[in-house]
Amino acid sequence: MEHDIVIVGAGIAGMRAAIAAAEKSRKLSIALIAKTYPIRCHSVCAEGGTAAVLREGDSFDLHAWDTVKGSDFLADQDAVEFFVRECPVEIIRLENWGCPWSRNEDGTIAQRPFGGHSFNRATYAKDRTGFHEVHTLYERMLMYDNIEIFPEYFITNLAIEDGRVQGVSAIHLKTGYMEFFQAKAVIFATGGAGRLYGFTTYSHQVTGDGLAIAYRNGIPLKDMEFFQFHPTGLIPSGILMTEGCRGEGGYLLNKNGERFMKKYAPEKMEVAPRDVVSRAMWTEIMEGRGFEGEYGPYIALDLRHLGEEKIEERLPLIRDAAIKFAGVDPVEEPIPVKPVAHYTMGGIDTNVRCETAVKGFFVAGECACVSIHGANRLGSNSTAECLVFGRVAGEVAAEYALNAEQGKISAEFRQKEEKRIFDDLLGKNGDESPYQIKKELNETMDNNMWIFREEKGLKEAVKKIQELKERYRNVEINDKSRGFNTDLTSAIEIGYMLDLAEVVAIGALKRKESRGAHYRLDYPKRDDENWLKHTIAYYTPEGPKFDYKPVVITKWEPVERKY
Amino acid sequence: MVKFRIRRYNGKKSYWQTFEVPAKRGMTVLEALYYIKENYDSSLAFRASCRMGICGSCAMKINDRPRLACETQVLTLGNTVKVEPLDNFKVIKDLITEFDEFFEKHKAVKPYLIRKNDNYAEPKELLQTPKELNEYYLFTLCIKCGACYSVCPAAATLDEYLGPAAMTAAYRFCADSRDEGQRERYQIASSPSGVWRCHLAMECSEVCPKNVEPAKAVQLLRRKTAFSILKSLLGW
Amino acid sequence: MSVSGWFRFKGRSLFSWAFTFQRLTGVVLLIYLLAHLTYLSTLLDKTGLTYESMIAITVSRQFLVFDLLLVLCGVFHGVNGFRIILHEFGIAYENRKPLLAIFTIITVVVWLYASYIMYSLTGG
Repeated sequence: MEHDIVIVGAGIAGMRAAIAAAEKSRKLSIALIAKTYPIRCHSVCAEGGTAAVLREGDSFDLHAWDTVKGSDFLADQDAVEFFVRECPVEIIRLENWGCPWSRNEDGTIAQRPFGGHSFNRATYAKDRTGFHEVHTLYERMLMYDNIEIFPEYFITNLAIEDGRVQGVSAIHLKTGYMEFFQAKAVIFATGGAGRLYGFTTYSHQVTGDGLAIAYRNGIPLKDMEFFQFHPTGLIPSGILMTEGCRGEGGYLLNKNGERFMKKYAPEKMEVAPRDVVSRAMWTEIMEGRGFEGEYGPYIALDLRHLGEEKIEERLPLIRDAAIKFAGVDPVEEPIPVKPVAHYTMGGIDTNVRCETAVKGFFVAGECACVSIHGANRLGSNSTAECLVFGRVAGEVAAEYALNAEQGKISAEFRQKEEKRIFDDLLGKNGDESPYQIKKELNETMDNNMWIFREEKGLKEAVKKIQELKERYRNVEINDKSRGFNTDLTSAIEIGYMLDLAEVVAIGALKRKESRGAHYRLDYPKRDDENWLKHTIAYYTPEGPKFDYKPVVITKWEPVERKY
Repeated sequence: MVKFRIRRYNGKKSYWQTFEVPAKRGMTVLEALYYIKENYDSSLAFRASCRMGICGSCAMKINDRPRLACETQVLTLGNTVKVEPLDNFKVIKDLITEFDEFFEKHKAVKPYLIRKNDNYAEPKELLQTPKELNEYYLFTLCIKCGACYSVCPAAATLDEYLGPAAMTAAYRFCADSRDEGQRERYQIASSPSGVWRCHLAMECSEVCPKNVEPAKAVQLLRRKTAFSILKSLLGW
Repeated sequence: MSVSGWFRFKGRSLFSWAFTFQRLTGVVLLIYLLAHLTYLSTLLDKTGLTYESMIAITVSRQFLVFDLLLVLCGVFHGVNGFRIILHEFGIAYENRKPLLAIFTIITVVVWLYASYIMYSLTGG
């Protein structure tokens, strides 16, 4: 198949990119490939809001400063300044396309407070912000005849030949056969790698496929050791209880009934940034002040004082989920929560124009690391990032595609790729179960690469992951059939995850400081002298090779971070 | 131990298979399916993603009723749980059904805001009061899981029938104060595969996991379509 | 897909039953009406004796049960049809459950009353 632009991933970033490219030129043929139907993407799980400067009293500098401070000064400030200026127009565009934003009485778009933001700038649609953004983008996308959607195509590789991108290979799940998409430009918007962890807010499908494929093709990953832990994951499933709960006035309580955040962030209390709140909660739990529950210790998220009316009006999904998945009605009882793996700050190394080391290959959204989130992302900045950089990627790729030659995937690449998947992986016999490997990987990540890290645990993790990689060579896929072989795709995903876990673990072991979400018990201070720099990881068959890159500072010199 | 009877299909034949799953409080049917896949039979195929009832992937027939597997607690179902693919959809493999036509039908009703002055480059904020928002908000909650379509007797006898989900989407936009495309959608709705095919079995509203009330949306769309036809007949 | 889709009752609500019975009673009434008209329009006997003899069969005790079922079909189809027409205009959607119950009761009451009268007429 031949297209001008191939976009992989149909979440907010991917669909926004498709629309942007289609708007740039109706002549471009655009293929949107995803392993699920577009509206089944993980972006629908975003709940709380999307940050944008819309109202009097707020300013771009303030939003940028909040973001930089939240990032623990690891964000590239030129990128942040660009980003905050582009957010508002994206909110209004979505509004014009039908997004049911929550409204003020006068009909203007409403905004709510969010963690780490010093102005109420989280634009929201009740507590289903991501859901409505995804559906709005999907529906809008249907208006463009030059966007063709390929749902349920599982991507296996990126074809890079002659120093440029030529296309991608993907398994058509329905038939089980491999298809090759040749393109002038390829955009990856494949999301993060959250399923590395066992206790996570992520959808089952978020396995870091795009990250791993780019990495294996020599495109470096940046800042992968920074993994965000969201303070409030519902027990036992890990389902996200939005930061909006606290934004709307919810309390976090330990078993003594104290609002313990006053010890850790006296000014911002519960709406401090996520890394601060998560560490505080974990400290409370470790020091024995958590509630005891069937699934281990937990912290209470108390919404009762908000009253039924406000909860129904602002947080209906939260109430529904708490009742269905934990048997707790937040109107009557506090919700049992604990910190949960939530966001991949790192990603494929890119710049403000979404370009990468390979010509014609662009990245956007969570799989990219521009970096505007640095060491810790502020809540409501991720959907905003997807909208802003999705658009940029679409436009830049469109400009590029209008003047580029059609990509050609060589016969050699095709044969090699089919052999790799169908003969070497599917056809192979072995005695390891991929699911057992995944289970052990999840346990390792949850135990050794959680909120508090230290050398011994990280070293163990690296060793364990390398052992798992070794064992993975010997996996056997029981289902040898072709159509909808989810056994095969799961095994491929687990292979991707192992590579990424190794980068996370070694990166974390190397970074001997505490910054944002990466907290080392053995190096509890931020070290700007040695570590104010981005980690860059390159693939080698023996394991990742590391390099570092300076952080761009424009206006704000690093200072102590207090909330 | 809870017994799971699963109706499977491998592209050639359909058969039942039984598995025993150790269930405890809090376990969902989706988790049980993953348990089966990871421990007993990894060839079992089903769709799943968000596991929090918002992506719409995992609608299937559980104990004869279409439900989201991720939202259904195993212990509420008794000692035996029967799991089957959705009715009214072609089965591809095991619990996975063909959804392409379903999404085509959704697309056919022009489910997007239609405005004469669509300014991509410099959009202006359109005002909408909370009251206007509430006119249609309920109908925006559809996750396109297909549960409604699977129980619709009209869809059972007419493959071309748009079905409850698509018509709910049509009404959602017709009822949006910002929309200017009602006329086009009423035309689509009054086609032979549109609103007149609904015969009020209203089972769609009974099974909708998000309580979107598709039967209500179809009826409201029908009323609006009827008035629109009357108006054009009378030349208003 | 086929008509078998009308007869999946497991796990369904009463609304599906109402839908299916509406269809079935519709078919029964249609067949009856066709038979009725065909019979009447093909009567050649001008004396009315053939007609009388037919009537004599249909008002007999042995035939009563068929008559009652036919009336049930008619009453159900009419009453339930009225309910559907209400909803078709988008009326009383919120009260659809009580309405279904009320209309079912009306159906039964009307039918019982009709049965009583017919039973009396056959000399019971």
